[in-house]
Amino acid sequence: MSARLGRPAGAVARWFTSPVPLGRIAAFRTLVYLFVAADLVVFTPWVRLHADVPGTLYQPLLIGRLLPLPTPGWLLTTVLFWVLLAAALLAATGRAPRLLGWLVFALYLEWMLVAMSYGKVDHDRFDLLVALAVLPTVGAARHGDTTRSEKAGWALRCTQLAVVATYFLSSWAKFRFGGLEWLTGATMARAVLRRGTELVEWSTHVPHLLVVVQFLIVAFELTTPIVFLLRGRWYYLHVTLMYAFHLMVFAAVTISFVPHLIAMTSFLPLERVRPVRWAARLLRGRTAPPLAE
Amino acid sequence: MQGQITTRAGTDDEVPDEPPVRRLSPHGRAIRVVVALAGAALLLVGTLVGQDDDFPFGPFRMYATADKLNAPVHDTRLRAVDASGRHLQLTDTQTGFRRAELEGQLPRIQRHPELLGAIATAYHRRQPDAPRLVRIDVVVRLLALRDGRPTGAYTERTEATWRAR
Repeated sequence: MSARLGRPAGAVARWFTSPVPLGRIAAFRTLVYLFVAADLVVFTPWVRLHADVPGTLYQPLLIGRLLPLPTPGWLLTTVLFWVLLAAALLAATGRAPRLLGWLVFALYLEWMLVAMSYGKVDHDRFDLLVALAVLPTVGAARHGDTTRSEKAGWALRCTQLAVVATYFLSSWAKFRFGGLEWLTGATMARAVLRRGTELVEWSTHVPHLLVVVQFLIVAFELTTPIVFLLRGRWYYLHVTLMYAFHLMVFAAVTISFVPHLIAMTSFLPLERVRPVRWAARLLRGRTAPPLAE
Repeated sequence: MQGQITTRAGTDDEVPDEPPVRRLSPHGRAIRVVVALAGAALLLVGTLVGQDDDFPFGPFRMYATADKLNAPVHDTRLRAVDASGRHLQLTDTQTGFRRAELEGQLPRIQRHPELLGAIATAYHRRQPDAPRLVRIDVVVRLLALRDGRPTGAYTERTEATWRAR
């Protein structure tokens, strides 16, 4: 195809599918599906409370109106919760990656509709949904497998694009809804006053500081696409900057975009993180000398 | 599982060329590129003209409104009276219906105050032993600000009222 498409289109196609080790997919898969399970229980436990809310307050989003989905009630919410929890934990083992992967994607999407069809939509997990949608297409992937795969490359590239789009397009949304005044407005000042931590209380007393911060935020968000041009040390520095941004936001106003942080690991060589192997080595290490890494 | 996981990835985010590469078929590659571009197009359209309703392709509008420092802060709450005459403020976990959701559906609830009866039902389901609610008011408190700080002054508006029959 790339030969037939000619050079530019071929280059785009190769960029979308540049191969990565299958071990990276195995690790990413485990992380993403474990997060789904943790999300149900730890991060957004309020979704389950919709089980008791009568259907008259259910206002399905567009996708919920297009698909023939039932109005959530106690039975649907409870069954969905337990089946999704079991499927996510099973999927985290890497077994039946297509079957379990598609199942988790479909059930989690429905779970999100149960979460967001009562009057409030969250914007912190587009990239996680993309990861859930593309992971099943890779098929089998073993932990530690160094075989590189173009299928794997496409899945991670899509997730990375969704991560960067979340930043870039949220600046775009600021200009659309807030206008250019967003830059000089009091959005940050009010956020700090409403939910600022002790670490940043002082910042509202410094004239213009939070306006400068607003300019910096937009500059950061609009320049995130350069991560695709960077290599080596600069690449990792940029990924570190993205995580540091969220660390600062959390320290300042205790807002954390956990699903987004999970999707962002698609930028990292996760195949080198082998907790099970390290634990085994540690146990063996008591009797034998440690193996060279 | 046995074997050569010691390949160094060097400074690039890809492993050097020694490990074998599984290629896509031309068909598989074309489908993937088209799907990715279609998804990107949907997201762009959603950001340009979409709304929250278009989830997951709606605009990423977290903290996207430009605030005025001294515009009053809205604080929406549910005040209720139960059959024993007790006055209480309903919490998110008592009803399963969150404050942000109440604010999102407020225009609809103003048009149809009987919807508050559904919140009473949710409260009864979650607190089966508590006395029945006989009245719910949606009260919006407007907190006045000066230099972005609460002055302590506020006004309250009752936006909708429901009474048990």
